[in-house]
Amino acid sequence: MTDDSRRDGGASDVELVERCRSGDEAALDALVRRHHASAYRVALSITRRDDVAQDVVQDAFIKAFRALNGFRGDAAFRTWMMTITANEARATLRKHGRWRESAIDDVAPMAVDDPDPAEQAVARRESERARAMLETLPEKQRLSVSLRVDEGLSFREIGEMIGSSEGAARVNYFHGIRRLRELMQ
Amino acid sequence: MSHTDCGMIREYLPGAATDRLSSGELDAVQGHLLSCEDCAAELELIQMLRAAPPAVPTELADHVATAVRTSRRPARRPWWGISAAAVAALALGINVSTEPREQIDAAIPGFVSETAEGELWLSDDGLLAGEPSLEGLSDEALMELLEELEAEGAA
Ligand SMILES: [Zn+2]
Repeated sequence: MTDDSRRDGGASDVELVERCRSGDEAALDALVRRHHASAYRVALSITRRDDVAQDVVQDAFIKAFRALNGFRGDAAFRTWMMTITANEARATLRKHGRWRESAIDDVAPMAVDDPDPAEQAVARRESERARAMLETLPEKQRLSVSLRVDEGLSFREIGEMIGSSEGAARVNYFHGIRRLRELMQ
Repeated sequence: MSHTDCGMIREYLPGAATDRLSSGELDAVQGHLLSCEDCAAELELIQMLRAAPPAVPTELADHVATAVRTSRRPARRPWWGISAAAVAALALGINVSTEPREQIDAAIPGFVSETAEGELWLSDDGLLAGEPSLEGLSDEALMELLEELEAEGAA
């Protein structure tokens, strides 16, 4: 699911992009449906605000489709899209400043009234606690962990996205994981 | 198990949590985890994170697709108008602001090639339908194009 050759409804990303360039709106819808979730998670990881992240994703997709002719098939559409989203999210933060305190609660609400059986409820709360802790890490660590764990990206791809080398992406990821394990104890 | 093993195994752990490993890699990871509590704890953390991914708003895909489609409709405000104006202005020696175009460029990652003149992506029902270049246009056609853009800018 991590490369542009994955198929969904019979068309690869490369085929959909090609159709999109010639004005096929169904192909546009398919590309948006396929990649908006990854883009949203990237935007959320950077901005830590749901409403801001949604705006960022929308603006990023508009810009990406305007620049579709600049997209080359040698990069996966998904990582290209995620990189545009990450840039857009950072630009938004620069423009409007950062939103800090309330953001963490918005992103990882703790289950208060969980209808699951006791054991599942405990596991669920632990997962949500891990997510909340992830939000407290510095941006590059947070993003590296999220891109690796949620999106399955390589360290080279993560490096491109956080504006670092492959090695720096690896270090950020492992520092983030180590810090999370300390926080979870 | 040695630290060298841990280093290699830890690279695989996110893949192990998501069924992205080959059977050989998975065997190596499972064998290692039997005797390494540290890596087992790390895999547990990764699985914990994956069990509570941020919820993606259900309406988001529809909203985004609608916004993209609207932005591509030249009848309202042709997205390519600014670039086309810049190209036409070059041909005519007229100074036209290209700021919106620069804002777009700033957001697009560096490995994307800059859009060359001949690659302008024009909509089917646009002013230059079917002809992705300004090169073939007469001076009259370019003036018409500029006038339309100016009218839009004034609106
Ligand atoms: Zn180990």
